[in-house]
Amino acid sequence: MVKTALEEFAFLIPLLPALAFVITFFFGRKMPSGGAIVPILAIAASFVISLMITLRLLANPDEVISQSYPWFAVLNIGVLIDPLAAVMLSMVSFVSLLIHIYAVSYMSGDPGEARYFAETALFTAAMLSLVLSDNILQLFVSWELVGLCSYLLIGFWFERPSAAAAAKKAFLTTRIGDVMFLTGIIVLTSDILKLAGGFQDGTYLLRFDEIFSYIPQLSALQTNIFGFEVSHLTIITLLFFGGAVGKSGQFPLHVWLPDAMEGPTTVSALIHAATMVTAGVYLVARTFPMFIAAPDSLMVVAYLGGFTALFAGTMGIVMNDLKRVLAYSTISQLGYMMLGLGLGSAIGLEAIGISLFHLINHAFFKALLFLCAGSVIHAVGTQDMRELGGVRKVMPVTAATMAIAALALAGFGIPGTSIGTSGFFSKDAIIEAAYLFGENSNNWIPYAFSIAAALLTSIYIFRLIFMTFTGKPRSDYHGHESPAIMTIPLSILAIFSLVFGGLTKTGFMNFLEETFANGFVNLNIGGLAALGRNELVGTAGSESLFVQWLPMIVAVAGLAVAFVIYYLRIIKLGPLASMKNPVYRLLYKRYYQHKIYTEFFSLGIVYGVIALLSQVLDVIIDSIVEGIGILTVGVSEELRRVQTGVVQTYAIVVIAGVSLLIILVKLIMEVL
Amino acid sequence: MIPLIFYLGLAALLFSIGLYGVMTHKNGIRMIMCIELMLNSANLNLVAFSSYTDTLNGQVFAVFSIALAAAEAAVGFAILMAIYRMHDKINLNELKSLRW
Repeated sequence: MVKTALEEFAFLIPLLPALAFVITFFFGRKMPSGGAIVPILAIAASFVISLMITLRLLANPDEVISQSYPWFAVLNIGVLIDPLAAVMLSMVSFVSLLIHIYAVSYMSGDPGEARYFAETALFTAAMLSLVLSDNILQLFVSWELVGLCSYLLIGFWFERPSAAAAAKKAFLTTRIGDVMFLTGIIVLTSDILKLAGGFQDGTYLLRFDEIFSYIPQLSALQTNIFGFEVSHLTIITLLFFGGAVGKSGQFPLHVWLPDAMEGPTTVSALIHAATMVTAGVYLVARTFPMFIAAPDSLMVVAYLGGFTALFAGTMGIVMNDLKRVLAYSTISQLGYMMLGLGLGSAIGLEAIGISLFHLINHAFFKALLFLCAGSVIHAVGTQDMRELGGVRKVMPVTAATMAIAALALAGFGIPGTSIGTSGFFSKDAIIEAAYLFGENSNNWIPYAFSIAAALLTSIYIFRLIFMTFTGKPRSDYHGHESPAIMTIPLSILAIFSLVFGGLTKTGFMNFLEETFANGFVNLNIGGLAALGRNELVGTAGSESLFVQWLPMIVAVAGLAVAFVIYYLRIIKLGPLASMKNPVYRLLYKRYYQHKIYTEFFSLGIVYGVIALLSQVLDVIIDSIVEGIGILTVGVSEELRRVQTGVVQTYAIVVIAGVSLLIILVKLIMEVL
Repeated sequence: MIPLIFYLGLAALLFSIGLYGVMTHKNGIRMIMCIELMLNSANLNLVAFSSYTDTLNGQVFAVFSIALAAAEAAVGFAILMAIYRMHDKINLNELKSLRW
């Protein structure tokens, strides 16, 4: 591989935002707008480098950038930019850049402005470094850093108790996943060390190509768990997926994501579109060769993803908070991405293509949705949809861009043609893959989940649009259109939401399929799938007209439902949408998950066990400590009688001691 | 020349007498005097060895030891005087205020 100038700059991609963090953190307060210009310039530079690398990879997918530097013994730090990493880098830096520009206006006047920009710069740096890690340990370090930044930013307004609680919740919930991920790394490391017979010179232990080369042997290692023979690969991949479940807000660890709304809206946009939640999807995609050789894990990924897509959608349709609807929407869409990856057992590497395609498209329209919501909240001062209404009149640009984002989210487009919003191409690809999977394995559950979730998506997002932007104002608010520095990023994102999918649909997926078929690892995915004994069946997109049109029909149906109920207001929901209706109450209370987690698990079980344990420990430790005390006092009580106070006794003791010593020395000398 | 063993024998005798005195007497002044006896037996040894080895080291040590003994006696007697003024007695067996 010829070393070109571009490669020299690859490591700058995460480094520049990291430097921006340092500068803004220390000097931001003295600069205008909290030093926002520093991270903006740094991320813009990162974006340019990423884009140039992506374009070069597009022209020649073999020119993977791979640099490794020794770190500790057989561990390394390094840069790996293959098609998968390249598109992620470009997307993360681009969306983050727009959000930073938008935030200059959104955050202006906040006393913590400099802190905000420092933390978002670090957030971006951590995410970029996560994406271009060439080994799993470096990825884990960045993974934790991303977690830290989300904690800092969700709790940005930490003087509010609810924000502090939300930050804590996000940190603790994702920590469950992080521990699973770490356990997976430990199992993987110990297995590789065992297989390789110790440390090998000249290799980097946890580099991805090194890990992938052990897949057949890992797959052959079996452990008996509850009478089932489980391959180590299945265990490791499930643990990795556990990490992804935490970070990417999959059921049952999604509970932190809606609460993450407590941070500034721009932070929500950053977390929900570009950084935090995509990390989990990226992890599964990055280690995809391992997953494809472990079909049981892929099945778990598919089912959990499909279920999450539907489950979050059901809660999305009853929320009244603007941002909470979007939060559940994110969880649901992440479920789609995981579902797409899980379908890899049927469609092979194409799974990465469709999943990442949805991830990128989703980043555009979800960032747009959040920034629009931020624009509304900024201007109107409330985020309760019951108090909004008619905002279209005062904020036309915001209303138009948000409508575009809604169309993209619901996946509007004309099947069989290249006309459609970006969400249309990526979501339909996943749904069609689910259909293909169902046809092949006679297992229609993922398909049913994905269709039902598509209907819910359409209902909740148009409910949001109609409740917020149409009709008459339902409260006394004064709004105005946001300044250009906010509406320009909105417009750019709106354009991307509209056309990106249509422009890149085939090229994108073909490009991504090159990820594991290039000079860096060059894996035979078919061979790996054979390890897991599943047959890859082929390409999505060749189904009957009905299959192609069904997602579209469902989306239109959802729009129609929302239109009738929330725009025309012909059908009054009345008692159906009140707390008296048990189903509505169940949804509105979010399936009581918060209650179950906090009161049952943490207060009931964890707290109870800890309380019991601490009582037992109290008794044990107390008796040890006090026993030592009592013993010491008792012994010294007796020993002190030696102190007679009579000088002559002391003299006798001294003389007796010295005499004994002399006799002893004499004896020893004799013996020697 | 008198053999070394005679000096050492005399010194051992002196030391034993001093030790016996310290052990048996109750009067503080007598005890101090006995300690002086023990110290001097040590000095005798030092001087004897010094002359035996034909060096001056032992003699120098002896001079130091005598000077120290003088200073110690002064301090010791001063303490005894103070005790006598406070308690009106000099019998060390009865002065047990330092016991447990």
